[in-house]
Amino acid sequence: MRHQLPSARSTRLLAAGLAAGLLLAGCSAAASPGGSSGSAGSKGGGSTTLSYLTFETPSLTTSFWDTSIADGEKAVPGLSIKKLIAPSTDRDAYAKQLQASGQFPDLLQSITPSTFVQAGLLKPYDQSWVNANFLLPMGNAYKGKVYIPPTNSQIIPMVFYNKTLFGKAGLSQPPKTWADFMADCAALKKAGITPIELGGGDPFSASMPLTGILSADVLGKDPNWLQERYAGKVKFTDANVETAVAKYRTMAKNGYFEDGALGVKYADSITNFTSGKAAMYMMGSWFLGSVPKDHADDFGAFMTPTDDGSLVVPFAVGGSMAISAKTPAPDKATAFAEAWSLDPANYKALIEGDGAFPMLKGKTLADYNVTVSQVFKDSYAYVTDQNTKVSSIGWASNDDAMPSGLNDAYYAASQALFSSDDVAGQMAKLDSAWNAATR
Amino acid sequence: MTGRVRRQRGESALGAIAVLALALYALFIVTPVLMSAWKSLTDENPLLAHARFVGVSNYTDMLHDDALKSSLTFTLVTALAVTAVANAAGIGFALLLNKTSLSYRVMRTVAFLPQVLSGVIVGFVWRYILAQDGVLNHLLLSTGLIGRPVTWLGSPHLAMFSVGLVAAWVLTGFTTVVHLAALQSVPVELYQAATVDGAGRWARFRRITLPMVAPGTTISVTISLITTLKLYDIIAALTSGGPANSTQSTALYIINLAFTDDRFGYASAVAMLLLVVSAAIALTVTGLLRRREVDL
Repeated sequence: MRHQLPSARSTRLLAAGLAAGLLLAGCSAAASPGGSSGSAGSKGGGSTTLSYLTFETPSLTTSFWDTSIADGEKAVPGLSIKKLIAPSTDRDAYAKQLQASGQFPDLLQSITPSTFVQAGLLKPYDQSWVNANFLLPMGNAYKGKVYIPPTNSQIIPMVFYNKTLFGKAGLSQPPKTWADFMADCAALKKAGITPIELGGGDPFSASMPLTGILSADVLGKDPNWLQERYAGKVKFTDANVETAVAKYRTMAKNGYFEDGALGVKYADSITNFTSGKAAMYMMGSWFLGSVPKDHADDFGAFMTPTDDGSLVVPFAVGGSMAISAKTPAPDKATAFAEAWSLDPANYKALIEGDGAFPMLKGKTLADYNVTVSQVFKDSYAYVTDQNTKVSSIGWASNDDAMPSGLNDAYYAASQALFSSDDVAGQMAKLDSAWNAATR
Repeated sequence: MTGRVRRQRGESALGAIAVLALALYALFIVTPVLMSAWKSLTDENPLLAHARFVGVSNYTDMLHDDALKSSLTFTLVTALAVTAVANAAGIGFALLLNKTSLSYRVMRTVAFLPQVLSGVIVGFVWRYILAQDGVLNHLLLSTGLIGRPVTWLGSPHLAMFSVGLVAAWVLTGFTTVVHLAALQSVPVELYQAATVDGAGRWARFRRITLPMVAPGTTISVTISLITTLKLYDIIAALTSGGPANSTQSTALYIINLAFTDDRFGYASAVAMLLLVVSAAIALTVTGLLRRREVDL
């Protein structure tokens, strides 16, 4: 009989074989931690393929990444780049997931180096190359080494304002002191204008006012505050911090933010502000890329005011890509990263679309062949001028970077304080989260 | 071939399938649980190659973790509320749809649709509905029922309510189908006899329908509870746990601990806690409902 049922013995063997196969498949799928996904010599002719983690935004589109990668590949013969796209703008979280599954990319765009350096996952750049090319060579250095070329910087947050709406409320110029700022908010509200737009539905966006106030009031007076927090010399529950945070609570309590602000998504907050639904918007300088070109002159910007009117610029030097310490082709990875980081075409896209402030040595805005608004030029002046620059709390990627996970706790506190008077309680939670994260 | 030999071969084949099923269960369920249990005794960090054995310190840390306590509270309250609402609605819909015509069969399929949709899609769709300028607010504003948009996802209490509402909507598809299947096995003669005896609608429902669908209710309630206790995808897409972590379920907290805070070891300990809590609740509820089946 040709088509008879398999014997019990062969069925058992088949079952055992299947189970063994599945077990082996399961085992082989779990790559070792720290593995790199790149493959040297994976193509014919000695070419190398390296993986590159990117992220997309309305400004940094698929087309931007593809073009910039193609240009970088041309600069490094024999190199092929496999683009990976983070599923959200949180590159750090995705890079960690890739690392946990043994697929840590060879190149990683705009991640926070401190988290990964502690695990020995990143390779530092040659300091002489960094010194030769960038205005602030140590701007985002971590423990004395540069892991991401300091190609550009941001001010986080700036206070953008609508000049027309200010005029309608009888305000002729932006506020200088905190008292002026509060008086202007009151005047705008009285005139029936929403004083401040807040995209509180996205946690990072909800934290912008608090970041502005803390950077101005706390780091403005003590630029080493974050380092001292690491050393345990200061705390969030200190009186000066709570006083600063109480200012944010006052703003929320007085109704200076948009109605239902915690339900407004970040993308909608941009539309609301640019379409004239609110007079001010506290956001990172990348908002400059969203200023409507047809009425850009309606918009101006100033720094979060301090009590005495002194100027404090919450500053963060970002940059391009980090290089995996475990990449199979470090020379080619470095050559690609350096070529990408100096490519003027990339700067043009980053400046015009993402409002990035370029940090290349010996260049002016004109050298990048960009078309930017007056508010961009005025804002860039805060970067190039001599003034008090402090780390933007939660955004610095240097030694002032907050420990892993703290940003989420910080964002949650910002949202909680929108409707809770318990400033001390929220700050105690932050201290507790900091202690857990640094234990 | 004799019948006895055929029977023996059939039993052997079944045995082999059982072995395969057990192997798969061991590979994909038991092994990860055991690995998680082991990791919960370490300080594993996803970025580091090596982890240290830390004993039960992850478990003692949980005693002082306020974020864990609030996520557990949210999860338990949501699970109970969603289970109650989804099952009550499921019985209601099942009674309405317990007809044999084509239109009712189509409606049954429609009722089950939410259950087959991916949680992420459900979350995104409802985010558009419940947004500040979403469909629901437009509808309520245009009918004059509200004067200003409601922040369904923007205030802690309303966001918790919204998450519960969406989870209940999804589960109602499942509970409807389970109760419908149970209802269709109730002999019509019972109702006819009760009607002859003068029993009204409520009496028939209380004395016939509820006892007869009780086994289905036990399954439906237990699975609803377990599903809601591990709720993650809908919340991740709908609120990301916000605002101010008010809708952070324990499952979402575990993911955040592991991949944002780099605390795999601690996340594993919390996962073990969730496993134990879920198992305890499921066993208790199943036991209570089975006892109730007998009482009814």
